[in-house]
Amino acid sequence: MLHRPSAVLIAFAFASLSISIDGTVVAPAEFREIVNGSEIIAFGRVVDATPELSDDRHRVETVVTLQVATYLKGGPGETLVFVVPGGQIGRYRDVLVGAPTFEPGEEAVVFLNARVGERPTVFGLYQGVFRIRVDESSKRRLVVSPVLVAAGQAPERVVRGAATRRPVTLETFGAQVQSVVAEGALRGAR
Amino acid sequence: MRRSVFAFAFAILLVWAASPLLAYLKLGTTTQTRTVNLRWNAFPIRYFITDRGAPQVTSMQFQSAASRAFATWHAVETAETSSEFVGFTRANPVTGDGMTVLGFTSRPDLDRVLAATNFRLDTSTGEIVESDIFFNTATSWAVDPAGVTGRHDLESIAVHEIGHLLGLSHSAVGETEVIPGGRRVLGAESVMFPIAFAPGTIHDRSLKADDVAGITDIYPTTSSHRSRGSISGRVTKNGNGVQGAHVVAFNPAAGTLVGGFALNESGAFTIAGLEPGIHLLRVEPLDDGDLDSFFDSTFVVDLDFRVRFHDQVVVVPAGGGVRDVEIRVTPK
Repeated sequence: MLHRPSAVLIAFAFASLSISIDGTVVAPAEFREIVNGSEIIAFGRVVDATPELSDDRHRVETVVTLQVATYLKGGPGETLVFVVPGGQIGRYRDVLVGAPTFEPGEEAVVFLNARVGERPTVFGLYQGVFRIRVDESSKRRLVVSPVLVAAGQAPERVVRGAATRRPVTLETFGAQVQSVVAEGALRGAR
Repeated sequence: MRRSVFAFAFAILLVWAASPLLAYLKLGTTTQTRTVNLRWNAFPIRYFITDRGAPQVTSMQFQSAASRAFATWHAVETAETSSEFVGFTRANPVTGDGMTVLGFTSRPDLDRVLAATNFRLDTSTGEIVESDIFFNTATSWAVDPAGVTGRHDLESIAVHEIGHLLGLSHSAVGETEVIPGGRRVLGAESVMFPIAFAPGTIHDRSLKADDVAGITDIYPTTSSHRSRGSISGRVTKNGNGVQGAHVVAFNPAAGTLVGGFALNESGAFTIAGLEPGIHLLRVEPLDDGDLDSFFDSTFVVDLDFRVRFHDQVVVVPAGGGVRDVEIRVTPK
């Protein structure tokens, strides 16, 4: 059953969206944290994703091989191997809720933690994955996920559907990453 | 008449302001022939607790908190779930042992992950073989009734993870803001919100309307089929479906928001488990979220559209559904 509401009602509902609620503290990483907290940042194409048993043989994890086109930070070689939780061996599939999955052929910018003696892992489980899509009209590569970064010292509310928040080109995204990397290097030099 | 419209609108202003956006999503998996929702086919769910505590939390305290968290879900009157604590075990909360185990473990490879739910699934049937929940010892935990400043409330996080164990995915909840060096939640009413809760807070021990609708959708009681309703339709842009659009149903009388997603290329959505009554619909792009925490990599989400309110009020009937709602959005 459908009814047409009054314009007043809709207007009030819209207006109420601008009201914030007192809430909780600390949430996911902001973009600068992701950049500064990652030892390796690379753009490339997934060429292989092979599930295997973990060293303790209790978990299935997927070993992802990325053919790297560009390193934005770090850079061990032409291919980059990292692991994500979950994967399928035989008829059984292990899933860790929220963990990213990768398929050969996909393109992404990945932000990785590198620990001595172990294969790199994605920063913050899923926060260090920025997927790439090719725009049909311009044929340019776009980074799908939003880059959430504080412009100044004041808190900035994140509004869904904001006209200013659009996918950015891979080149723009790379420049944003390198700007943050340079900021960090400058702070380190001081 | 005019006065009553204003009074109604003001009431909406109050309740909407007090309720951030919510949306439930069910976990699913593909078998050799089809996509199925993850759900337990037999109850009670029999679970073990690892016999090792963590600093400030003993295994007995862990068991009590986990038991309360299970009970929170089982108390939903419109859904039918149950569990049974079998005992303590030396086993770790990892897959591969055929037992459903909850407990502490060290996962330095999963930085920033407080806790997580694992499933082992049989892809030939879609059945859950086992499920485990680990709580990362890299985090400081607390079980005190009022919470402890600087430490995460184990019961709150357990409620979230048990929601996963029962088949719910993440919910696209509320508002956040970015601040220098971090991101902060402004309003998070659903326990299935993927972002870490603040240390010291305990308000996420309680389910919200979106959580109740989600669990009711998966495990409805016989009576809930008669008492609850649904809304289904399509989100379109220039005549084409908008995959991944986030649709939120606001019930002004109850002051609740429940949502869902357009889950295919035609932009089709269904929101079930709704209380009967008037609902307003709002569609928004999930352009502030980490898409990987909601969908797998092959699911292409359209983020290029403006927020839109449906221009008609929807009246959900008890025991029935409103169908063929079409919400047209425009590009940014």
